[in-house]
Amino acid sequence: MIGLIRAEYRKLKSTQTWFWLLLACVALTALLVIVQLATRDDLGTNTEAVRDVFTSAYTAYVPAFVLGILAVTTEFRYQTITPTLLATPSRWRLITAKLISYALVGLVYAVACLVVALAIAVPWLGSKHDVNASFGQHNVWTALLGIAVIVTLYGLVGLGWGAFVRNQVVAVSVGLIYVLIIEGLLQLIPYVRAVYKFLPGAGAQAIISPHSAYGPNENYQLLGVWGGVAVLVVWALGLSVLGAGWTMNKDIT
Amino acid sequence: MGTPPPNYSGSVVPPPPAGATIVHEPVPGRVVVDNLSKTFGTVRAVNNLSFTVEPGSVTGFLGPNGAGKTTTLRCLLGLVKPTGGVATIGGLTYAHIPNPITVVGAALEAASFHPGRSARNHLLVYTAACRLPDRRVDEVLDLVGLSSDRNRKVRGFSMGMRQRLALAGTLLGDPRVLILDEPANGLDPAGIRWLRGFFRRLADEGRTVLVSSHQLAEVETIADRVVILNRGNLVRAGSLEELTAGTDSVVVRSPDAARLADLAVQAGKQVAPGGDGVLRIRSDNTAEIGHLAFTNQIELHELSLERFDLEQLFFALTAEAAADQAPGSPPNALPPGYPPPGYPPPGYPPAGYPPAGYPAPSPTGGYWQQLQSGPGGAG
Repeated sequence: MIGLIRAEYRKLKSTQTWFWLLLACVALTALLVIVQLATRDDLGTNTEAVRDVFTSAYTAYVPAFVLGILAVTTEFRYQTITPTLLATPSRWRLITAKLISYALVGLVYAVACLVVALAIAVPWLGSKHDVNASFGQHNVWTALLGIAVIVTLYGLVGLGWGAFVRNQVVAVSVGLIYVLIIEGLLQLIPYVRAVYKFLPGAGAQAIISPHSAYGPNENYQLLGVWGGVAVLVVWALGLSVLGAGWTMNKDIT
Repeated sequence: MGTPPPNYSGSVVPPPPAGATIVHEPVPGRVVVDNLSKTFGTVRAVNNLSFTVEPGSVTGFLGPNGAGKTTTLRCLLGLVKPTGGVATIGGLTYAHIPNPITVVGAALEAASFHPGRSARNHLLVYTAACRLPDRRVDEVLDLVGLSSDRNRKVRGFSMGMRQRLALAGTLLGDPRVLILDEPANGLDPAGIRWLRGFFRRLADEGRTVLVSSHQLAEVETIADRVVILNRGNLVRAGSLEELTAGTDSVVVRSPDAARLADLAVQAGKQVAPGGDGVLRIRSDNTAEIGHLAFTNQIELHELSLERFDLEQLFFALTAEAAADQAPGSPPNALPPGYPPPGYPPPGYPPAGYPPAGYPAPSPTGGYWQQLQSGPGGAG
């Protein structure tokens, strides 16, 4: 298994995908943190607003999701899946190695985002709003931890989705349309929004939503923090199992 | 390679890994395809195919495009699930071979590369996955002559270089079985000659080399044995000598052909008269026929040996299946509606084309005509 994880690391390192997606993560984080800092006027008085500055960094989950999708679909796109499966015929071992590898990569991405968020927000808050943001206050540490968990787990959800779909263009386009548009619409539809809390986006919201200045949403309900983590884990593993057990076993021609 | 690889022909049979089901007798390096079938939708790509490939030989796996060669190889390698039957290497199905890259080296198409990855990085992925030493990468790149391009991205590689890189990948684990799909495609003549010597050396080391191809002349110079496939069915399998034995003809031309024909028939020979005083006598010995003519005082104007080569054999053997097709729908017929009305456009070809003096298409030669005419073209 160590060998397979090293193989995944070498695959990722030897092309440029990781760099551009990391850049996207960092840029999105910086953008959203700056927008929050520049537009909110209650930062000096509202501690929950301070926390929201940090949680806005969670949008970095989108590039992480794409990175996860590419982890499997790139192999199908360039047919490297053939030598990969010749070296490792067991789809289960392959997917397990990819999940472990991309959990580690996702964590690195998350840490990079957090560093950027802190580097921008802490001096800004201190100089403009006279807020001394520290980990202990304003529940900042739960926001930071939550972002790390969301970015990492969303990468694995993408990985499972990619393994299930196999086709890169379909997996990326459908995945992004769902995450960015469809999921947001589902929470507005009566009855459907009853199960909304079990969708990945709602899981991510559940992880960071306590203590938000926006308050609870009236349209739909969310699970607790741990429930949100569980939702993301189940989606990641469930899709991976479907991929390894079914679609990746289909004929590779 | 720094040290010569071990001679596999005397290998001791290793114990099977725990939990693995031994399907066939565990002979190291033997490839067994056993009653294999594969259906894609309504297309029967492989139909009850059985053959065995023994170690220490180069086996050519032949068939026209779409005969089921690649599907068979993919079934053998666990990439396509057979509809029926089983294919094993050393008695085990591919999924049950422990660290398979050290037992079987396979290259199925020369396109299995990420274009943005360098040759060296491509191979380093597989040494990591299979826990092989990374120095193997430089060794196999040396072997296939890609050392100077090791850090170039595959994007800039020619077809021949991709073939070499694919071949390098198969050698990483120093496997005793090599399975290569159309390895000569895109290689220049020097590359093909090199490949020939390379396969010979691998087989002489006791390895099993299974090479699929549709280039018959190529296989004839490389392979000891051939397995001929057509429309998913096994047509023939055996050594080249076996398959072509007794199929050579002695061609004689004589003003007294009729008498010579009678004499040859009396001597127990099969004789096929061609017009213009030409006879084809089934024999591989020109001296024997020359002697027969001389002792009977028959004047000869030509005496030559006509080898029945693999290409002729191939067309003769695969023609039967072509004849099975319904009349009016030859295998390469255009679909209905073709050519569309109005095609070719008026005025085409332009006047004066082809230019005077341009040779007309040969009525006898050419691959296409032979395909169309089937065994008749083979004489």
